[in-house]
Amino acid sequence: MSTLSTSPKKAVDKKMNNIILKDINKSYSKGDNTVVVHDKFNLAIKSGDFVAIMGPSGLGKSTLLHLMGGLDRPTSGHVKIGEQRIDDLSESKLTRWRAENIGFIFQSHHLLPVLSAQGNVELPLSLTPLNKKQRQQHAATALALVGMAERAHHFPKELSGGQEQRVAIARAIVSDPQILLCDEPTGNLDRKTADEILALLKKLNRDFGKTIVMVTHDNKAAEYASRVINLEEYIASGIEANSAQSPQEQQPFLVEE
Amino acid sequence: MNLIELVFRNSFRKKTRFVLTCLSVVVAFFLLTTLAGIDHALNASVSNSNQYRLMTSHKISITRSLPINYQQKIKALAGVADATYVSWFGGYFQNEKNQLAVMAVDHNSYFDIFDEYQIPTEQLTSWKNTRTGLVISQSIADKYDWQIGDKVPLSSSIWMDKSGSFNWEFIVSAIYQQRDNTTDSKRIFFQHLYFDKARAYARNMTSWLSTQIKIDADDEQVSKAIDKLFTNSDAATRTTTEQVFIKEQAQQFVDMAMVIKVVLIAVFFTLLLIVCNTMIQVNRERLNETAMMKAIGFSSLSLVKQVYLESLLMLALGAIFGSLLATLTLSQVQQQFADFLPGIAIDPSHYLTVLYLVIGAAGLCSLFPAITIKKLIISETLGARA
Repeated sequence: MSTLSTSPKKAVDKKMNNIILKDINKSYSKGDNTVVVHDKFNLAIKSGDFVAIMGPSGLGKSTLLHLMGGLDRPTSGHVKIGEQRIDDLSESKLTRWRAENIGFIFQSHHLLPVLSAQGNVELPLSLTPLNKKQRQQHAATALALVGMAERAHHFPKELSGGQEQRVAIARAIVSDPQILLCDEPTGNLDRKTADEILALLKKLNRDFGKTIVMVTHDNKAAEYASRVINLEEYIASGIEANSAQSPQEQQPFLVEE
Repeated sequence: MNLIELVFRNSFRKKTRFVLTCLSVVVAFFLLTTLAGIDHALNASVSNSNQYRLMTSHKISITRSLPINYQQKIKALAGVADATYVSWFGGYFQNEKNQLAVMAVDHNSYFDIFDEYQIPTEQLTSWKNTRTGLVISQSIADKYDWQIGDKVPLSSSIWMDKSGSFNWEFIVSAIYQQRDNTTDSKRIFFQHLYFDKARAYARNMTSWLSTQIKIDADDEQVSKAIDKLFTNSDAATRTTTEQVFIKEQAQQFVDMAMVIKVVLIAVFFTLLLIVCNTMIQVNRERLNETAMMKAIGFSSLSLVKQVYLESLLMLALGAIFGSLLATLTLSQVQQQFADFLPGIAIDPSHYLTVLYLVIGAAGLCSLFPAITIKKLIISETLGARA
């Protein structure tokens, strides 16, 4: 497992972290009824991109995010991240894959109240072979990156909402994943704090080459992204051809399949 | 931050709940260990009994007497090496709190058959020659600071002498040691002859008889022969091996132990439900955190391990304090009950049982949270579908 690099990463292998969703069908059973969320949905996101997915509730924005992060599986279809197809991985392999490749940032930070900011950020590193000192160093670096070095020993209840979200971002990036999946990361924050968080995400994308996919209802938040997908329009277009990837870029995936 | 540290921090997240649950574990293990100590005492009496000795009591009840002359009739039977008789005196010293296990025995035969009581020859001879003589254990001598030659008044709540008094005068004639030092019977013996002549009623009667069978004799056959001998008499008998007799005498305690055991199982089961419920509640409260940890790469197994360690910590702390408390209590109580229930002690293997129980109970308490963790769907727990 890689861990946080201290220097910005300008050069990223573009193909390494392309996100490709192909012919995705996703439905849920609710009592006797089946709710179809996605039907033959296709999407490709380039490595290093900062994509905002917008649209009204109920269209399946978060579901897409969960599919990309391996938190959920499609009913049918393929999810491919870089060279790795993740929809058919076993539960344990998928868990390991998530730990190594994905950073999650949720609307609610879900920090452990019994751990300090430092402890929370160290949490994903406990899955790595790093020793205590190395874990502490990496966590300190991540906290410094999000401007929380001063608050490293504060517990979540001693932090503001924005600070908690910064810690959650530090936790997401501490293992140095190439992809950050953000589900309404600024949904609980005021405008000023939201802007600070979005600027931070932008910095991670720009300076460190992180691929960021962000689900949001906030038009202002979407302005920070390099590409905005309005899911309603995207689906209505029927071709899901709004992908920034050219057919050539999608070719490897299509050929393989 | 490591797994153990996280387990500790999570355990003490809600201190009151943790302490209260822990206290219920303390109570359960206190009861468990206390019972183990009593059980040890009951089993010790049985295991120390002699396999070549038979006990004959009245067929209807041990409280009914048998004629002393049964001794000679039994001795005449094939397979019998010797026979003696014993009457229960009961008794206490000075006040009823100082209860003693006092028995009137046939001075000519008793210590030949019950050779586990080791008495110096000169003391035994002295006792046989002293009508009111007492044979006491070393522990009784130490406890009351009695020495050979001391005059000792003992009272009986059962037996009255011819003058109408329940107070009997004795002289300490001998002090016995026991061959097997693992238990101390703390019994006191005096001559049946004195008892029989001095008591106001039930002369020539005895509480029970003990028969020493020959090594090659079959205990069942001899038992049957003894009982057959008195079948048509006024006092029909029931003969068993000493082991069975002791078990039956202790039956009231054993039954009590059975009741306690049943209650204990119920208490333990309830405790298990309490701890299980606590762990389920804990797991439910932390569902979002668990989902987050799963999302960032913690496997279900490692999360279940955390729940297990948390249960283990709670149960282990309770078990340590409960067992320790019971051990200390028993060591105090042991002195007070030594006269009637000697051998109260905790077998070292009991602590191993406690260890197994803690490990097993922690596993059971983690079962439901483990199922929840395994079935937890991260996407559903962390966010509504949008």
